Amino acid sequence: MVLPKRVVAGLAATIACAFGGPVSAEDIVVGFATAQSGIEQPYDQGGQRAAIMEMEMINAAGGIDGRKFRWFIADTKSDRVQGAKAGLEAARQGADLVVVSCDYDNGAPAALSAQNAGKISFFVCAEDAKAGIQGVGPYSFTASIAAPVQGATMAEWAIKKMGWRNGYVLLDNTAEYNKSVCAGFDWAFPKFGGTISGRDTFRNDDASIAAQITRLRNMSSPPDVIMLCTYTPGGASAIRQIRAAGIDVPIVNGMAMDGTYWTDAVPNLSNFYVPVQGSIYGNDPDPKVNEFTESYSKRWEQAPPSSYVFPGWVLIECYAEAAKRAGSTDVAKVVAELEKLHDFPTRFGPRTFTSNLHIQDSARYEIIGFTAGKPNPVEYWKISEPVPMDVLFRR
Amino acid sequence: MMPAMLQYVIDALSLGSLYALTALGIGLLFGVLRVINFAHGDFISVGAYALIVPSANALAVLYVGALPWPLVLLLTAMSVIMVAILSELMVFRPLRGTTPATLMIGSFALSFIIQHLLLMIYGSRPKAVNLWPELTTQVNLLGLRVQKLQLATVGATAMLLGALTLLLRTTRTGVELRAAAEDYQMARMLGIRANTVIAGALALSGLLAATASLLYTAQSGILSYQMGVPLMMFAFISTVVGGLGNLLGAVVGAFVVAAIEVILQATLSDQLRPFREAFVFVLVIAILLWRPYGILEAHSSRERV
Repeated sequence: MVLPKRVVAGLAATIACAFGGPVSAEDIVVGFATAQSGIEQPYDQGGQRAAIMEMEMINAAGGIDGRKFRWFIADTKSDRVQGAKAGLEAARQGADLVVVSCDYDNGAPAALSAQNAGKISFFVCAEDAKAGIQGVGPYSFTASIAAPVQGATMAEWAIKKMGWRNGYVLLDNTAEYNKSVCAGFDWAFPKFGGTISGRDTFRNDDASIAAQITRLRNMSSPPDVIMLCTYTPGGASAIRQIRAAGIDVPIVNGMAMDGTYWTDAVPNLSNFYVPVQGSIYGNDPDPKVNEFTESYSKRWEQAPPSSYVFPGWVLIECYAEAAKRAGSTDVAKVVAELEKLHDFPTRFGPRTFTSNLHIQDSARYEIIGFTAGKPNPVEYWKISEPVPMDVLFRR
Repeated sequence: MMPAMLQYVIDALSLGSLYALTALGIGLLFGVLRVINFAHGDFISVGAYALIVPSANALAVLYVGALPWPLVLLLTAMSVIMVAILSELMVFRPLRGTTPATLMIGSFALSFIIQHLLLMIYGSRPKAVNLWPELTTQVNLLGLRVQKLQLATVGATAMLLGALTLLLRTTRTGVELRAAAEDYQMARMLGIRANTVIAGALALSGLLAATASLLYTAQSGILSYQMGVPLMMFAFISTVVGGLGNLLGAVVGAFVVAAIEVILQATLSDQLRPFREAFVFVLVIAILLWRPYGILEAHSSRERV
């Protein structure tokens, strides 16, 4: 088959652009099997950009033992079948590390391709405990924290710090992430002396949650706190409807509702709290986080849309440390070193991996509270004991 | 107990109104074109997105939505009607004369294209829009706390249903629409202009979609490129339950489906509530087994011998 000249020239240009320069045998090659278009694109983009910033910084400092990071992108087009192909393409192009989409369901096909090709993969920010050994395989990791830890963090903080003992659980049962956040809350809230006096469910795409609000309003004793387990757009709509019904009870949610891109939906949003890995609002108590946020905004001419950008940086930090300790990019050696990371201090909090678990079962979160629509860091909170495996996997 | 029950009645009425507005738009077009327009939900999304400045940035900036409400109504309606007429010219008219199945596939394709155009222009991240926040406040009605928006939704539906009935019964276009709905071929033979009638039906269905999108956006405060799809699905089921081809049936079906949904949400146990939709559809099947042509059967739904 003879390819037209224009096609050959185009292909050559695409490959050159994707690599962003010549690849040397000494380079550490990172393949991003992430979405560059479609539904997942905005969610993968932030973490990917943060990862690139960290690689640029390491390269500027001389690389890891003189070896520099090089990266290329294989577009999943937000499609799971295409995701498996992108993962395979990344492995075939010699990636030492394959970075896959944020969401577990969308990133898993590429991670499985990488696992089958004997490559290490990191989800940009998956929070399902299956994102690792149990779901993909021993070479798979995620840079984020398991979703039940978020629910457990909010439960323990609500009771111990705020004294909110009467809880109400409102679960959006559309996604496994939501169920996992609520599972963490269900585990921790009674454990620390709270009572869940009522619960209800809705769907993210429900046109109205008026019936759920009527049930909540008719509770014999109004709850001290509502654990809402949801994400946008349904989450924003639910909070707007709850507040419009005159219910001003504090609402806590998982990290998925971080960001101000949705808060215009709720006039003067107040008494709303989320756990985050760092504040994207430039007001973090840790200056290193604010410094990153500022650099991100300058580098990409756009502020980080949510704190899901941070795990992108964390994954490169963890991989770079393990590769440095291993003195090579040999898969078995790097995995062994990753599994030895114990409370490794990343820019966005300590991280631990073990030979049983490649996701965080406990982590320091920063609680962000919204008052009159403005997000402010409240305090750091770390759960007093890790979330057990049966809760992580909702067995 | 009694106020709680009344509150649920209001919940069902307002949800039913939203479904009814959507179902009327679907029913109107089905009457004339004999096609379920699966892109109707996307017309609703187009109306909502018309409120903001086209951009893929995470933060939405109000554009039409920031204008005084009569202008918001007018411009949103114009945007949706324009898309509806374009759909007629580019999809439905070229497919005229083909089988209903082809038309339906055409409407699916149109839905897919509109969704992906929204995705391309605005990105997939949901956009927040604080439309008419004053409508989200509450009033005390017979001891019940009712959101103004719920009253506005019920009121707008009643008004539009009334206006539509008047239009269909008293105007020349209305008579032509009804004639076309009754027997399209015969109406054409008697000199009714097909293109005008169909474009008119699409424009009217666009107007209904625009109203639904404004009320829905005022309620949810957030836009997403597939926001109209669930409304479309429940409205479609409503038109089938009410009687395909019968406009009053579409409205009745919408209130029946909404009532079933609210009653199940209020009465199912904790463990069963996540499966609410399954129970809704079981009841829908039961209704269709009882009345296969819907609660209010359309004159034209059975073949004449």
